[in-house]
Amino acid sequence: MVGPVAHHFNNMAQQQASVRLGMWLFLVTEVLFFGGAFCAYTVYRIWFPKDFEAGSAALNVGIASVNTFLLLASSLTITLAIRSCYESDRKGLMRNLLLTTVLGTLFLGLKAREYHIDYQEGLVPGVFGYLTPHAKEAYEKERAVNPTLPETPENAFNENLKYALSHSKVYKGKPGEDYEPYRVQLFFMFYYSMTGLHVLHMVVGLGLLVWQMVLTATGFFDYSARYVYIETMSLYWHFVDMVWMFLLPLLYLAGPHTATQAMEQFQMAIGLGGGH
Amino acid sequence: MATATPHSPTGAPVDPPKLDYTPQAIPLPEPTPAEDRTRKHYLNHDTSLLGWIFTVDHKRIGLMYLVGVSLFFVAGAIAVGLVRTNLITPTGAILELDQYNKAFTAHGTIMLFLFLIPVIPGVLGNYLVPLMIGAKDMAFPKLNLASFYVWAFGALFFMYQLLVGGLDTGWTLYPPYSTKYSHTNVLYAGLGIFITGFSSILTGINIIATIHKMRCPGMTWGRLPLFVWAMYATSVIQLLGTPVLAVTVVMTAVEKLFGVGIFDPKLGGDPLLFQHMFWFYSHPAVYIMILPGMGVINEVLTCFSRKNIFGYAAVAWSSVGIAVVGFLVWGHHMFLAGQGYYLAMVFAFLTMLVAVPSAIKVFNWTATLYGGVISYQAPMIFAIGFIVLFTIGGLTGLFLGTMGTDIHLHDTYFVIAHFHYTMVGGMMFAWQAGLHFWWPKMTGRMYSDFWSRLAAIVMLVGFALTFLPQFVVGYMGMPRRYPNYPDEYQLYNVMSTAAAYIQGIGYAMPVFYLTASLFFGKRAGNNPYKATGLEWMVPSPPDAHNFPATPTVYFGPYEYGVPDGLSIVDKMNGHTNGVHTNGAAKQGVTSGS
Ligand code: HEM
Ligand SMILES: [Cu+2]
Repeated sequence: MVGPVAHHFNNMAQQQASVRLGMWLFLVTEVLFFGGAFCAYTVYRIWFPKDFEAGSAALNVGIASVNTFLLLASSLTITLAIRSCYESDRKGLMRNLLLTTVLGTLFLGLKAREYHIDYQEGLVPGVFGYLTPHAKEAYEKERAVNPTLPETPENAFNENLKYALSHSKVYKGKPGEDYEPYRVQLFFMFYYSMTGLHVLHMVVGLGLLVWQMVLTATGFFDYSARYVYIETMSLYWHFVDMVWMFLLPLLYLAGPHTATQAMEQFQMAIGLGGGH
Repeated sequence: MATATPHSPTGAPVDPPKLDYTPQAIPLPEPTPAEDRTRKHYLNHDTSLLGWIFTVDHKRIGLMYLVGVSLFFVAGAIAVGLVRTNLITPTGAILELDQYNKAFTAHGTIMLFLFLIPVIPGVLGNYLVPLMIGAKDMAFPKLNLASFYVWAFGALFFMYQLLVGGLDTGWTLYPPYSTKYSHTNVLYAGLGIFITGFSSILTGINIIATIHKMRCPGMTWGRLPLFVWAMYATSVIQLLGTPVLAVTVVMTAVEKLFGVGIFDPKLGGDPLLFQHMFWFYSHPAVYIMILPGMGVINEVLTCFSRKNIFGYAAVAWSSVGIAVVGFLVWGHHMFLAGQGYYLAMVFAFLTMLVAVPSAIKVFNWTATLYGGVISYQAPMIFAIGFIVLFTIGGLTGLFLGTMGTDIHLHDTYFVIAHFHYTMVGGMMFAWQAGLHFWWPKMTGRMYSDFWSRLAAIVMLVGFALTFLPQFVVGYMGMPRRYPNYPDEYQLYNVMSTAAAYIQGIGYAMPVFYLTASLFFGKRAGNNPYKATGLEWMVPSPPDAHNFPATPTVYFGPYEYGVPDGLSIVDKMNGHTNGVHTNGAAKQGVTSGS
């Protein structure tokens, strides 16, 4: 069995300091990675504030709110895990790691549900998009009024979005006046790429959590001596949380929403309450 | 520590040998020829295949990079062979139009992403940084191995994409051409670049952590060899720049995948934003491609002119200065791309600024040479070639950074010549200098003096004749990336192509004499060039764990020409590099002739 200090280090202090520095440096790169995306977002948000508002209004802020609470709670539990590790409390460590994993998994489950709902509403620009039946109906009605419109709409996303927003209880903007549906596609490209990257980071984080649980459970892991690994893992986990703390206002809160709407959206998403 | 008597790394008190230079630490005894034949070192202590595949030894990983980058260099050279041959005639001698696009794109992407960026950090950085700072290995040896495999996988994946579908966007991947109109493998090639970038980030983290945390006793920041400083600055750029390229590539890939995206002008998106993000990485990336080379030059010049570096602190901090200011000038690639007028002026000004730290280095190098005892062995010929060629490259950069002249010169062969002077004349020559300088350390064998000098001269002549005509023809107006050109440019192009073949011969030569050295070369001994760095204090090739015991450093890195040898006790407090000098240090600065 390998000792706690790897062969190329002189002592524990040097090893721990290196590991911590390594993780901080990695987080610097992560800041720049997401920073690039945030920067592009900022440029377009300044150019097209109204379209971003409209895009945001079409998102499911109910799920996002619950997810925020889940992630914040997981930040607490992973910090408690460091504490347990520090106190050589193996059971506590296991429990807190497990709790963190469960909270993270719940987040991903809800996020998957949210993507599913977005897809059902047809809020997917580009080649994966399709025209939803509701939007089709609405389009037919519009065409009855204005027969110069082509038989099939030029862009399915635009029609789906118009339909979705016209049924929003909170957002009152009108297409063409308050927002241009085609530009909202830009917003949605940001939405999918940024949340997608965040999800990928969550998956990696969950992998690390499971790995540390296995090490703890098999007893191979001298937790009191190597708690620096739990600590650096938690740094990463906190970072991923932080990214979400930026995504939430930038994506979900850029448009108008109300608490009641959020509540309804969430209940509907998990199959409680009426729906249409 | 101040009153300690010197001890060898094995702990025994030493009787300092009389030398005309002062090593940073006490050298280990030279193995006798008999010992040398049987001793175990990092190459032969475990020769099984698995011993190489799963090695975490930074020296072996360095050698694995050496094999990898050399192969990719050959691939890139074949691609440019096609390009240059095609340019012999004004209408294109051998390639179809789209083949031409693919050939120059393959050349550019392979040479940049798979050769120039990893070459010195991957090979020499890996090999030398731990040795130079007196560490047993990198801070994260397993991560180091992982980043090699990530790199190798990404690189092979990328090569595969080039072979099956090709890429015709140029290395710059500008949308909307790359996202909308190109029918080549933009998506997967981008993925390959992303993966190699990830490896570059991991290597950067490893090197920074190593330099911060693994230095041996006495190895203060002011005593770090300048190569280490340069690797530090390079790693900072890799850390801060590469993620931005990565996310840009991701967004481009998303656009390719979804068919709509963030840079799509039809949706109100802006292709210029791509250029901003791309050059935010890629301008600093040109310094990823030159700083390690500059680091090598410091080591070689001081050794072969037997002098302390002139202005250690200025050289060290200019690396950091380049790393910082290099992040503020990217807009000079977009003077003609529709960027705001006042913004362009700011970028033009800052571009002038970024030339300053490079100039500081050049002045310090020439001042180092002044009054030195210079010997022209192969590494030194390469190093002097570097100084001359890089200076031309840097100065022509100023023509390009001036807005008015850039309107005329942008996207012409003048730009091509500019960056080949910096990247080939600079980095490639520095790489050859470094490879030749440390080859005896890595392999334990000396290569042929005659052939290596000849190769250096062939490369130099071939290089100059290839790219000088391109300055001229570019200034006359020949655009880059075009397969056809008016007849009056033919003479220059034929010259350039002919000289490119000469260069090719030059690059092939080391393959022969370096390989031959492994079998027939004289044994190098610990320190064939009488250099001062820690890596020369141990036998060649070094042991698997570098040092039998952690060494202690008493001196600065370039104490050449100190006649009274290693009287360490009186000089123990002699700070070096001309800052707080007494004893050895002072003489190190001025001595030489
Ligand atoms: C020393 C100061 C330098 C200055 C002031 C400078 C300036 C410039 C400018 C203004 C351009 C844009 C030209 C145009 O497209 O119209 C340029 C292009 C370029 N430079 Fe430099 N440069 C310098 C050093 C370097 C170094 C050290 C390298 C690489 C090792 C380098 C590599 C390149 C490359 C690759 C391009 C062309 C990129 C492309 O469009 O494909 N430069 N340089
Ligand atoms: Cu540049």
